[in-house]
Amino acid sequence: MNINKTINGSNLTLAPEGRLDTITAPELEAVLKESLTDVKELIFDFESLEYISSAGLRVLLSAQKIMNKQGAMRILNVNDVIMEIFEVTGFSDILTIE
Amino acid sequence: MNIKLEGRIDANNAPQIEKEIITKLEKDNDSSLTLDMEKLEYISSAGLRILLNLKKDYTPDIRLTNVSSEIYEIMDMTGFTELMTVEKAYRVVSVEGCKKIGQGANGTIYCIDQDNVVKVYNNADALADIQHEREVAKLALILGIPTAISYDVVKVGDSYGSVFEMLNASSFAEILANEPEKFDWCVEEYVKMLQKIHGTLVPEGKLPDMKETALSWAKFMLDYLPETATKKLVSLVEAVPHDDHMIHGDYHTKNLELTQNEVLLIDMDTLAVGHPIFELASMYNSFVGYSEYDHEIFKKFQGFDREIGVSFWKKSLAAYLGTDCETKIREVEDKARIIGYTRMIRRSIRRNGLETEKGRAEINLWKEELLELLERTDTLVFSRNELDIRAENENLPEVQKFAAEHLAKVDCPPATAMQIGVAIEEIFINISNYAYTSDKGNTVVRVEVSKEPVSVSITFIDHGIPYDPLKKEDPDITLSAEERKVGGLGIFMTKKIMDDVAYKYVDGKNILTLKKNL
Repeated sequence: MNINKTINGSNLTLAPEGRLDTITAPELEAVLKESLTDVKELIFDFESLEYISSAGLRVLLSAQKIMNKQGAMRILNVNDVIMEIFEVTGFSDILTIE
Repeated sequence: MNIKLEGRIDANNAPQIEKEIITKLEKDNDSSLTLDMEKLEYISSAGLRILLNLKKDYTPDIRLTNVSSEIYEIMDMTGFTELMTVEKAYRVVSVEGCKKIGQGANGTIYCIDQDNVVKVYNNADALADIQHEREVAKLALILGIPTAISYDVVKVGDSYGSVFEMLNASSFAEILANEPEKFDWCVEEYVKMLQKIHGTLVPEGKLPDMKETALSWAKFMLDYLPETATKKLVSLVEAVPHDDHMIHGDYHTKNLELTQNEVLLIDMDTLAVGHPIFELASMYNSFVGYSEYDHEIFKKFQGFDREIGVSFWKKSLAAYLGTDCETKIREVEDKARIIGYTRMIRRSIRRNGLETEKGRAEINLWKEELLELLERTDTLVFSRNELDIRAENENLPEVQKFAAEHLAKVDCPPATAMQIGVAIEEIFINISNYAYTSDKGNTVVRVEVSKEPVSVSITFIDHGIPYDPLKKEDPDITLSAEERKVGGLGIFMTKKIMDDVAYKYVDGKNILTLKKNL
């Protein structure tokens, strides 16, 4: 999957494209693992994300847990379908979605 | 007894001829009589009376053959054709100097004048075959299959021929050879006709049952394959359900013709009824199997390159099955290959293939492929809406694509399609991760869509360890991010997304069904 990565000081923005599923979630996980050190604010831009399954949600929750310790995490531009998944799973309550 | 009559029979010679025939009959003590009238030029009423007497006093079983059209007309007018068997003589046609316009497996086609062609059969005893082909072509036409019917049977030298109206037509093989840009169009029309053939229900007993034929091929293998392999082959064929739909039996690109305004199916002598897998087997042979060892022979027969033929087969099979899913296409192709190789091996052996080096190499290649396929095949039957696939994470895109193709048929809104896709992923990955402990196994994914009410149902069937995922406790989604465990959401999401999720364990199979009303 294509993941656009922008670093601005201690801000990291990740914009994954397409599908975040069992096949692609490990790629996002790998990017996070190598980039999260010293990041104070993690932003996910979901403008181009079309699909998310539980494999994607795992990565988001893990990231949230880490960012709760070292700063903040926000998710931007979530489309309706993905928002529904967040709501069904209670993720809309534990993630900061803008 | 067969007696040839020559010249004229009139009042002058009738009594003598009658006497001669009776003497012969009495001497031979034969009760059936065939009078060959090929060389009879004239018969008067005195002559006709002989025939009546013979029928009445000596032989009720009298047959007149090779009756010229003039004499046939008299017989017809006087009612003789109702009293006894009167067979018309076949018109004699010469093909000397005629342009040869085609060469098929069982005959050669010549242009006899500007409006007519004759297909001369290689086999001199082809009369029964010719009659059979005419009859089945008529049947097909009545059942709605566009085809060309021969309007006359003629004698050509020592052989027989069928006369057809000349069609200003090109075969699909010619189109593929000369206008490669029409490849996609050819696939489309080829598959359309195939679906039409397979959608045609044939009244019982009108056409041979392809399953019986395939069974005889399978049994032939007894002397050439290990016993267990032959047994499996026979049982696979036996398990194919009876099907009264039509199959063509030799459906390749030379047997489909484009005239000015329609596509015609020709070469109807192999018409049969049966399961489509038997048709697909012969198609595989035409495009791939037959030339699998010797690639050169493909172009000699079809007139275009073998790579185009292989691609034509793949594209046609995909369109026929309504899928681009490689796994599905390969699954059906493998089933077709089992029957295909069986047929090729038998055919080659019967044509003394074992006596040449090339023949042996060819048979060996087919045999090895066949044995490998028999190892891993449990049924020759296939369903368009079922995908039998190895339960491995990397196969997820195939499963998703297959399901999406079926969802597209009911105009599923994209948002719902995405949700259903999530549910499918969760279940498939669950099976992939947990159903099989050591060796990976397969799962069947069956997608059923219904238009009234608009709904979709997806069933997963695996042979793994019994496991009811629905028993898993739902996660507490009210907890904070810190308190929540990572994972465990898949089944929960599936239950939330779908309208109904049901599990059962039957006959060693985990069966999980997801339903969604659209």
